[in-house]
Amino acid sequence: MNHHSRREFLKHFGIGAASLPFLGNLPSLGFADSTQRKQRLVVMFSPNGIVPKNFWPDEEGADFKLKSIMNPLAAYQDRMLILNGLCDKIRGDGDSHMRGMGCLLTGTELFPGNIQGGSHTPAGWASGHSIDQEIKRFLQGKQESQTRFGSLEFGVVVPERADTWTRMVYSGPNKPIAPIDDPYQMFSKLYGQLKDRNSLKSILDELQTDLGKIRNLVSAEDRKLLDQQASFVRDMERELQHENPSEVGHAVPELELGVQDTNDNMPKISKMQIDLMINSFQADFSRIATLQYTNSVGQARMRWLGVEEGHHQLSHEPDDNNDAQEKLTKINTWYAEQLAYLVKRLDETPEPGGPGSMLDNTQIVWTNELGKGNSHTLNDIPFVLIGGGCDFKTGRSLKLKNVPHNRLLMSFAHGFGHHIEQFGNPDHCGDGPLELA
Amino acid sequence: MMNAIISCAMLNRNALKLFTILVAFVPGPVRAEETTSPGQAIYNKMCIDCHGKQGEGVESVYSQSLIGDLSIQELTAYIEKTMPEGEPEKCVGDDAESVARYIHESFYSVTAQARNQKARIDLSRLTVDQYRNSVIDLVQSFTWRRSLGEKRGLRAEYFKSRRRSKDNRVVERIDERVEFDFGNEPQFLSELIKKQDEEKANQAEKQDEKDKNPPVQDEYSVTWSGSLYAPDTGLYRLNFKTKNSGQLWFNNEREPLIDARVKSGDQTDYTASVILQAGRLYPLRIEYFKNKTEQEGSVQLRWTRPHHTEELVSTRYLVPESSSWTILIDTPFPPDDKSVGYERGTSVSPEWDDATTFAALEVADKILEKIESLAKLPKQKEKHRELLKQFCESFTERAFRRPLSAQDRTLYIDHQFDQAESDLIAVKRVILLTLKSPRFLFPGAANPDFDDFRVAEWLSLAIWDSLPDERLLQAAAAGKLSEQREIELQVRRMMQDDRTRAKMRSFFHQWLNVDHYHDLSKAEGLYPGFSAELLADQRTSLDLFVDEVVWSESSDYRLLLRSAQYPLNGRLANYYGVPHPGHSEFQTVSLEPDQRAGLLTHPFLLTGLAYDDASSPIHRGVFMSRSLLGRFLKPPPIAVAPLPVDLHPGMTTRERVAKQTSSATCMACHGMINELGFTLEHFDAVGKYRETEFEKPVNVAGQYLNRQGEKTEFQGARGLSEYLVSSEEAHNAFVEQMFQFVNKQPIQAFGAETLQKLRSEFVANGFHIRQLIGDIAIESAIIARRQKER
Repeated sequence: MNHHSRREFLKHFGIGAASLPFLGNLPSLGFADSTQRKQRLVVMFSPNGIVPKNFWPDEEGADFKLKSIMNPLAAYQDRMLILNGLCDKIRGDGDSHMRGMGCLLTGTELFPGNIQGGSHTPAGWASGHSIDQEIKRFLQGKQESQTRFGSLEFGVVVPERADTWTRMVYSGPNKPIAPIDDPYQMFSKLYGQLKDRNSLKSILDELQTDLGKIRNLVSAEDRKLLDQQASFVRDMERELQHENPSEVGHAVPELELGVQDTNDNMPKISKMQIDLMINSFQADFSRIATLQYTNSVGQARMRWLGVEEGHHQLSHEPDDNNDAQEKLTKINTWYAEQLAYLVKRLDETPEPGGPGSMLDNTQIVWTNELGKGNSHTLNDIPFVLIGGGCDFKTGRSLKLKNVPHNRLLMSFAHGFGHHIEQFGNPDHCGDGPLELA
Repeated sequence: MMNAIISCAMLNRNALKLFTILVAFVPGPVRAEETTSPGQAIYNKMCIDCHGKQGEGVESVYSQSLIGDLSIQELTAYIEKTMPEGEPEKCVGDDAESVARYIHESFYSVTAQARNQKARIDLSRLTVDQYRNSVIDLVQSFTWRRSLGEKRGLRAEYFKSRRRSKDNRVVERIDERVEFDFGNEPQFLSELIKKQDEEKANQAEKQDEKDKNPPVQDEYSVTWSGSLYAPDTGLYRLNFKTKNSGQLWFNNEREPLIDARVKSGDQTDYTASVILQAGRLYPLRIEYFKNKTEQEGSVQLRWTRPHHTEELVSTRYLVPESSSWTILIDTPFPPDDKSVGYERGTSVSPEWDDATTFAALEVADKILEKIESLAKLPKQKEKHRELLKQFCESFTERAFRRPLSAQDRTLYIDHQFDQAESDLIAVKRVILLTLKSPRFLFPGAANPDFDDFRVAEWLSLAIWDSLPDERLLQAAAAGKLSEQREIELQVRRMMQDDRTRAKMRSFFHQWLNVDHYHDLSKAEGLYPGFSAELLADQRTSLDLFVDEVVWSESSDYRLLLRSAQYPLNGRLANYYGVPHPGHSEFQTVSLEPDQRAGLLTHPFLLTGLAYDDASSPIHRGVFMSRSLLGRFLKPPPIAVAPLPVDLHPGMTTRERVAKQTSSATCMACHGMINELGFTLEHFDAVGKYRETEFEKPVNVAGQYLNRQGEKTEFQGARGLSEYLVSSEEAHNAFVEQMFQFVNKQPIQAFGAETLQKLRSEFVANGFHIRQLIGDIAIESAIIARRQKER
């Protein structure tokens, strides 16, 4: 029997049964060349705008003071690049929440459609793909940066509803990608094959026992067929023994069992998803990840912070409602804490097979669909950049003047060595990528 | 004596060797003490150097064995003209005749082959179809199964708003298909309501009800529900087409197959692909919605069946009643060995073994997703372990097609529950172990004695390519399947099943060779109006034609060869110049009875057995020789490209073919092939009737020399069809191929007299096809049992 093909077979195991029919279309599952630097991109999204006065530093340049929302990130101020003054210039169909979400990473208009927001005309899906998918295609197109999944879309308490408010990642026009907000589902996507291997290993002895028994029941002529079958089973057994679990490069994470996908479990789910993301980076399953908290107009109720009202509802309160401002600040500070956890985990994890930490090679982007909830402005969209993935010059607060966010999206691609000349609507790409290095 | 040696051989390896040696030294039917015949003397002198002692061939000289089914007469003629190679004049006349007779009788003819090589019923694994059907039925045995029945269409509920509540429902009815263009007329519901009211009013004259009509909305929704029938196994592309929005739910209650609730841009086509198993219903629901801002309303349910082009889903495949979830196996399997003309499971390969592993994992995961409902687990957890264990026992029992022995139960069930970390993991392990077990994969392997459960399994594999159902297992448990009468009753019941329909359809596809048709796209400009859609219609027409014959009361094989009535739709009728009621659905239409003769002249066969720019008497003749007459044809000794039409302008196809195959080497086979194929020359490469070709009248004279050397001459398709209807060879060919398709074993393994017996019964029963299938299943089960008991 051909051992090479059997090895291939076991490697393919890594995909999990559901995607098996499409084996032929997948790039190699081998680990990408480890001599190259592994650049990564993580986009984290939280909804409904921020509280500007408690978010944007007053100062510009290297010498700046973090405001209260950003305080959880204080330890990483020197790894941070805060970009004020970026505007989502995309107009056309859909209300601000819809465009804020659907155009945030695509930089292009929504199609007309049947989804009616609070104002404006109804709209459908975005008419182009998102920047993370652009970079994913670029990386998957090269042997040395190919990974098993190419990109992973994480979610935290995203409603079971596919519409313009719940999707920010697009693989193409009218092709939204749903984030996976169930950590167990994500786990089985990442590690399902290990469980399968273990299940298989556990039955092989018994299978052989029974094969041996039945072998003696059939005629000599028929025995040949069963003997052949038994030899395949033996080969599989041998190969499964050979398979080294350490091949995934790290210990498989152990998830707390039985955490339900509910609002109140948001903190737990957030941590589980971040842990899984770190693991998938260690295993080099993917170099692109998005992490979407709830959705545009998301109604998280952060009771664990003492906030009983829904987030979106609060975000509509006028600026002079101090109670609402305080609660919104708490909510956004909580998101900053999630980000801080992600940054800390990346910082603590040494880059597998390379110098430094994973944070040195990871570009994190924290963003939002609106500048501010009650005005629904698409100006001053929050963009907080952390880490060294794109080699931007960090430890700075920049105040840009009314710059289309398409230009930042292009900068990410350029940071990966992917020199695109426009992205999304070309009208907003005028002066090319932002110079941030 | 022979029998004694065989049974010894089974017990003892040395005896087997002895037997082989004996066979090698006994030259066919000629007994050892007899003196060498003149034919044998000539063979030993002139032929043995190249062909070997028993015609087995000689490596590096002529390695093919001398086997075939030419008559002695044809063989003689061939030897006279070509043998010995280079010096054919050395063996002619009586010499050629006697050596031909010797070869024919000792090893060449089919009967000699059968005599020399004893066929046996081989242990076989499940074929791919059998595997998929078994798994589907295994899982569905924990829910329920609906059969196709008589009702067609989908249940439709029309609502006056986006909310599909009872209060909002204004119309409920059966729609034949989903094809609606409500245009920019939002009033369509009011029309519907008005019509309904008028009907009501006519009945009860309640005019005042009309005033209570709900105000008409310009937003509305419709739900269509029921099931979809898959006539063939393969990849289906479902297409939900709408200018508005909606969802298509298919075989899955948890998430829609197509989610088009968001209308975006000008996208109106939403597709998804699924691999479906034939002969089964799949639950289907469409939730359609038109909102106030949309100007127009339209919705269609379309699909692309395997080997077809995109089309509306015809009412034939829609059933207005729900059905239960069917497990779909996405794991691809390597195709089964079909080298002997039918799919069989007598060999295993690493690829096949891998596929069974992947599939077992896939099935386990899909079952675990639904374990609560499949194992009927209550809310309280205390009983879960017990219920899961029961589920596993039933699962394994049904997979093994018999009750579990105490030992089996320990190994397959108890052991797993004792060792696994959790009950659910135990369930997974049981499923994996069961689906990888030889008890499931190799029917009969674990049961040397042919008990009633083996009979049940034999019948269900023969008729359904699947597991026995509950009633068969009950009959087996009650010991009833030792009685022929009970077997007959069961078989009669089983014949009514959709799975039998599906199996029969694939038999006919194989018998008619439809998957090997080539040049299905025709030369540009030569056949205006011919299109991929027309080709798909041809295929549908053929399937419907065969279905109509097979499932009619008379189920008469002769109609397959004689009938001039084909189911045609508007497009086909138009193309072939046949009057048609007009609308697009298929209807049985009479064609010119002097011209058409059943399958022989069906447009799909004629188109498939043709080149892109010309008919092909050779393809047609090969098909008739092999499928219809059961003749054995070797592949051509040299690969030859057909003479291009324009190289010999003005030559008819018949003349071209005759010219190209005129050499003696070619004529060994083409003498038969061409003369059969020529009879269909009235039909061009797309199956249209013609009297002339290149302004010359078409010559449709043909002839056939049967295995006994009797020559029959006939004219055209009808002449050929009448010959075939009365030909014993053709009857034998049909019975034998049906037998082998049903049982996936050679008929010779069931004794020399079985074919003869089944054929006589077939003829006596008025060539009743369904009766034949039943008889094959019963006869083979009884013989197989007798062989084991002996």
